[in-house]
Amino acid sequence: MDKPKKPSPVVNPWVKPFWEAAREGRLVYQRCRSCGTNIFYPRIACISCFSDDLEWVQSSGKGTVYSYTVVESNCPSAFVDDMPYVIAIVKLQEKGVQMLSNIVGCDPVDVRCDMPVEVVFEKLNDDITLPKFRPVALK
Amino acid sequence: MSNLKGKIAFVGIGEIPTGRYPEAGAISYAIESAKMAIRDAGINKEDIDYVLPTAALFSPAFNTELVTCRVVEELGLKNVKRNAQIFAGGSSSTCALEIAASLINSGGASTVLFVHADKLGTGVSLQGGIDLFSTAGISSEWEVPYGQHYSAIAALATNRYKYETGTTDEELASICVSNRKWAELNPNAFFRKPLTIEEVMASKMLSTPLRAKMSNMLFDGGAAFIVTSAERARDITDRPVYLLGEGGTVTHFVYSQEPDVSRFGWAKAGKMAFEMAGITPREIDVAEIYDSYPIYQLIGFEELGFAERGQGGKMFINGDTWPGGKIPCTTNGGMLSQGHTGAGGAVALMVETVRQLMGKAGDRQVKNARFALETATGGTYMDAQVTILGTEIP
Ligand SMILES: [Zn+2]
Repeated sequence: MDKPKKPSPVVNPWVKPFWEAAREGRLVYQRCRSCGTNIFYPRIACISCFSDDLEWVQSSGKGTVYSYTVVESNCPSAFVDDMPYVIAIVKLQEKGVQMLSNIVGCDPVDVRCDMPVEVVFEKLNDDITLPKFRPVALK
Repeated sequence: MSNLKGKIAFVGIGEIPTGRYPEAGAISYAIESAKMAIRDAGINKEDIDYVLPTAALFSPAFNTELVTCRVVEELGLKNVKRNAQIFAGGSSSTCALEIAASLINSGGASTVLFVHADKLGTGVSLQGGIDLFSTAGISSEWEVPYGQHYSAIAALATNRYKYETGTTDEELASICVSNRKWAELNPNAFFRKPLTIEEVMASKMLSTPLRAKMSNMLFDGGAAFIVTSAERARDITDRPVYLLGEGGTVTHFVYSQEPDVSRFGWAKAGKMAFEMAGITPREIDVAEIYDSYPIYQLIGFEELGFAERGQGGKMFINGDTWPGGKIPCTTNGGMLSQGHTGAGGAVALMVETVRQLMGKAGDRQVKNARFALETATGGTYMDAQVTILGTEIP
């Protein structure tokens, strides 16, 4: 059986600026100009006040690992060669902004809850560059 | 608050053993279960005026048959006003119960048959099953590209919960052992051999700290139940099982947007259900808590008031939740031991709740069970659904 290609995210029109920024190495989220709410993932309208007056804001790219797991077996077919890989929920410093990602650039056994991480970008294909995270080097 | 307390009751249940039936078409699981429920209720089949089949995941073609009234025709039902699919993943049975209850209470329906059948054990390949469950309900925009799947989702909840409470892997493994002790007494369960904490801990690591024996497995199965008004139920049977309380809350679609993966919405849903029923967790005789993975059973058990946060694991280890224990929990063995059949995981749990209250649970009957609580959740634990049933109206 041929190994399936890595799944590329479905991209809706209003989300395009997010992926364009990621290709340029920037992690962005939306902020409502009417009520100031931070919004992630990108929406058509504000999740607080329904305003469609939303602006794109660059994230610091810094956050912490809310939770994580090291995938060692029984993963989706397209990821078999990646095992072991780390899936994590990362909470960014910007209030209300959290996302699923992979933790890279370290031994998977070293990942912990609440560990500080920063964004890095990994090219998936010509259209998509995925934001991932690596541990912040200890000073 | 809902005004349905004591207004409707279960009068019949049916279930085929969870297993592997490569030869038999899935429609037979639905028909067998529905026939059993009709016989169990002792009603004339023509009393049924509403049929609510939930969805089957293994085959879109079979699911379309469920949508287009095959169950009604196969059972030869002549007085069915409507056949409509109610599907909310693992929450389907709870959602269908609440909708049926509202219909009955408003006079829109008299006697409602809910039925589930799916063929996830023999209707899809093992990798096909993994791939199905790496996409079904998981965001194709924000999670699928990172290799997200259901074992990892459970592991993410487990690691955060362990970090906040200090609960051990052995305590989590003991939940699988507790469920197995019940399954040993359940002829409809697939896994019935005794299980030890050591065996769970020695099984293959899937996504840390989740091991293979902490994971549900997919099987073929079917189950059904019949509900009607409390008044009619009292004419039909001398042991109606009343709906006393219900509560629910939806917390996310994209799993990584869930605000608290170590709690979810159980406390809020439980408060609604207990307030409506007018009882407290101390009065619950049986806690049928949705498992699918041990972490969800443990979180539900604690958040609904059966243990302090972080202390529930000890109760699963020391036998409080086992047969003969002070708070019997998930007495059919749950998805971890009876087996996971898609939307049927929580259908089986609801049927078991009713079975215990009807006094028909055989070797695993909880003595003098009067009040029971049942939970369900769908998708990536997108919601928390709590139902309280009882043999009397407090
Ligand atoms: Zn706003």
